[in-house]
Amino acid sequence: MTVSHAPEAEIDTTGAIASVVGLRVHFESKAGRVYAVDGVDFHIRDGETLGLVGETGCGKTVTARSFLRLVPMPPGVHAGGSIYFRPHQPCPECAGTGCEVCDDTGRLPVPCPVCGGEGCETCGGSGNETIDLTSLSGKALHDIRGDRIAMIFQDPAKALNPALTVRSQIAEVYGQHRTEEVLQRAGLGSAASMLMRRFVSQRSRLWERALLAMPPLRKKRMRVERAIDDMVSAALAETQIPNPGNVMARYPHELSGGMKQRVMIAQALACNPDLLIADEPTTALDVTVQARIIELIKELQARRKSAVLYISHDLSLVRRVCDRVAVMYAGRIVEIGGTEEIFANPLHPYTRGLLAAIPSRSQSRGQLVAIRGTVPELIDPPPSCRFVERCSYAVAVCGEVDPGLENVNGGHRVACFIHNPPDMAVEVPSFSKVTS
Amino acid sequence: MTSTIDSPSPSGADLRGEIAISVRDLRKHFPIREGALQRVAGHVRAVDGVSFDIRRGETVGLVGESGCGKTTLGRCVSGLSDPTGGGVYFDLTGDDNERLDSILASPEADRSEELKQELKQIETRHRVDLLQNQDWLRYRRNCQVVFQDAFASLNPRHLVREIVGRPLKVHKEAFGEALTERVVGLLERVGLGRQHLYRYPHQFSGGQRQRISIARALALDPELIVLDEPTSALDVSVQAQILNLLNELQEELDLTYLFITHDLSVVRHMADRVVVMYLGKVAEAGSTEDIFEDARHPYSNALLRASPDIEDDPDAALITLEGSVPDPARPPQGCRFHTRCPVATPVCGWEVDDVVRWLEDEPGMFDALTDVTRQDAFNADLVFSDESSASALAAALRSAKVPQAAREALVEVKQAGNAVHVVFEMVPEVELTTRGPGHVAACVLERTPELD
Repeated sequence: MTVSHAPEAEIDTTGAIASVVGLRVHFESKAGRVYAVDGVDFHIRDGETLGLVGETGCGKTVTARSFLRLVPMPPGVHAGGSIYFRPHQPCPECAGTGCEVCDDTGRLPVPCPVCGGEGCETCGGSGNETIDLTSLSGKALHDIRGDRIAMIFQDPAKALNPALTVRSQIAEVYGQHRTEEVLQRAGLGSAASMLMRRFVSQRSRLWERALLAMPPLRKKRMRVERAIDDMVSAALAETQIPNPGNVMARYPHELSGGMKQRVMIAQALACNPDLLIADEPTTALDVTVQARIIELIKELQARRKSAVLYISHDLSLVRRVCDRVAVMYAGRIVEIGGTEEIFANPLHPYTRGLLAAIPSRSQSRGQLVAIRGTVPELIDPPPSCRFVERCSYAVAVCGEVDPGLENVNGGHRVACFIHNPPDMAVEVPSFSKVTS
Repeated sequence: MTSTIDSPSPSGADLRGEIAISVRDLRKHFPIREGALQRVAGHVRAVDGVSFDIRRGETVGLVGESGCGKTTLGRCVSGLSDPTGGGVYFDLTGDDNERLDSILASPEADRSEELKQELKQIETRHRVDLLQNQDWLRYRRNCQVVFQDAFASLNPRHLVREIVGRPLKVHKEAFGEALTERVVGLLERVGLGRQHLYRYPHQFSGGQRQRISIARALALDPELIVLDEPTSALDVSVQAQILNLLNELQEELDLTYLFITHDLSVVRHMADRVVVMYLGKVAEAGSTEDIFEDARHPYSNALLRASPDIEDDPDAALITLEGSVPDPARPPQGCRFHTRCPVATPVCGWEVDDVVRWLEDEPGMFDALTDVTRQDAFNADLVFSDESSASALAAALRSAKVPQAAREALVEVKQAGNAVHVVFEMVPEVELTTRGPGHVAACVLERTPELD
């Protein structure tokens, strides 16, 4: 499906590592089609942290999972739109350690294979390789998952495999994406046999494993295993896990919640990804542990300069972690802009409502400003503003026409008629006029 | 006390501020069973000696990390589980309460026959786990619970009418048409209506389900409602609706709340008084203002600093705690928080287990440790498989690798072959001490003896 780039034209897309354009993901259910994500547009720039906030069921997790195509289909339906991703490669000058050419990130964009960096239609004129994640083949997607795009899930107790040790779960990432590096570290290099290669990428058959346990190959195998141990231990140490050698041999159930989340972060960052998707990484944790994980993510992100898509429902956390914030409601983005701008000057009534609903020290008891009603069911939504039923400022036009995300100032965009009056001779809503 | 069941629940302006629930030295230990014979190998001390009062008409907030025993405490208060020691006393008059405290203050062995008799009398009439028949029914009417997960606590196969009407039926208050009308009244009170009577829980959103739970809790016109994380499964906008509803109901019906939560911004908003728990013990208790503006326990401080308020400066670094919560089956000596405390002193209760914990984080050394023979918690021999590990530990214990305070608390480190003999200064358990009117904290710092 072709999606016009027209509304994106005025937005600065330079340095965008990923662009979501008109993404629609629906679900078929007995009650009808659920429009979970229904026309979402945003960019993630290289090195920035973009926060995606919203209530349960607003489609933020589905949006994030669409990046790696983790939404089960069926019942999910990819109803349109694309996610363009511009992968990076290790900097040829410094081999990933950081130099002037790559601005200390150790990564550089891959030139477009069609035009060779000149800029053409496939790469959107950027000259960098641009991949549409929604139409990628399984094999190509496999190379991106865990390598160029990694994900931290909400509940580490569920996301880690309970039957495997921490070591084997992190080793899997290296086995899948860093076979050559492992062999090189083991001193085998390009001379390694097919048997060894298959062993590193965890594809050995039973008879192969039996061969590797025999004296002639055993030493080589031990060397490879030691190389993997070193890499895993280094990855764990980076997330400030004390005594990584000890933690490596443990199973997830032997670790505390905070420790499990660190293991997952270590796993996600193992291949130095260009984009890290953190789906509510601290919701399952206690406040004291949450604070440490947040500081850890911030620190690692500052060091590696990878882009982060940070999904959360906790606005006070998002405010601390993110550079830009996108507010989602009922499958659409209603407001997007710089964090300071959004928190100092929220434009959409929903964003205002969300901020006012958080208990803070200055609000007296029983005086919380709650948004009335509940999130609407997303089965066959009307072609109007989705927030109209709960909005205190709604007028007739809000229930008929969809406002669409429009630029207000700089990069601050909002989908509301209060700020972008429709080109019709109708009553226009305003914050000074409470209608219901 | 009146023990007739039809007496109206004692509420009203004259009783406001009276003590409704007294929790005294409450303990709840869960046995850890091991092996084929399920031999008891130890106890998890979920709640380990907690005392506080809940006054009529107030909201007491109970906060702490997961695993600190706050939910267990809530279950003991609501009579859902029986305590292992101590008790929850309901509806004591002021005099009885003083009497009880004075009896409990004397050591059990020294009590005379009359005192024991008197204590028994008070306990059979007021201690929740010993109440019988009519008294027990009366307590169940007066104490209701709203659970965290409304989806799990509402029977999915029952209609709302049956769920909310169940308490009325059990207590033989209403039947048939009258019951339906009572249920409608309750639903309207919590913002639902007649149209919701014949629906199942799955047809409601999370916020509405929590409203049904609240309607059910209100059915018997209780005095005390134990709210166990009532909003932690909800979104902020819905959470605000529920919090406002709870406040309205409290004002209208003179309810008393025990509000259990881990969310400090919610506690600050809701509670009159706050009890901070850590590893089964009260770390600090006081009015909400005292705790949030003038916290005296390093743990309360750490909790407050770790949870950002939306009005705080977003660039200020969060203060984070080192380490994880120790095993509640072997709680640390002295102050239970000393293992993670940023301002620990030599008298905070450093012990042999601290050395073992430190070894666990030290590559290689923990594997070499073969045995620990303890004389007591402060005095033990650590036996290693080789001499070099033993000397490494002996050297490390004197170096900057262990906290300064721990080194100062060390009385003796002696290496003999493969073993290291370690003796720490013996320290009693840190008691709660008064820090101001109604403000207590269990910390060795800034103790002001003249206030005790």
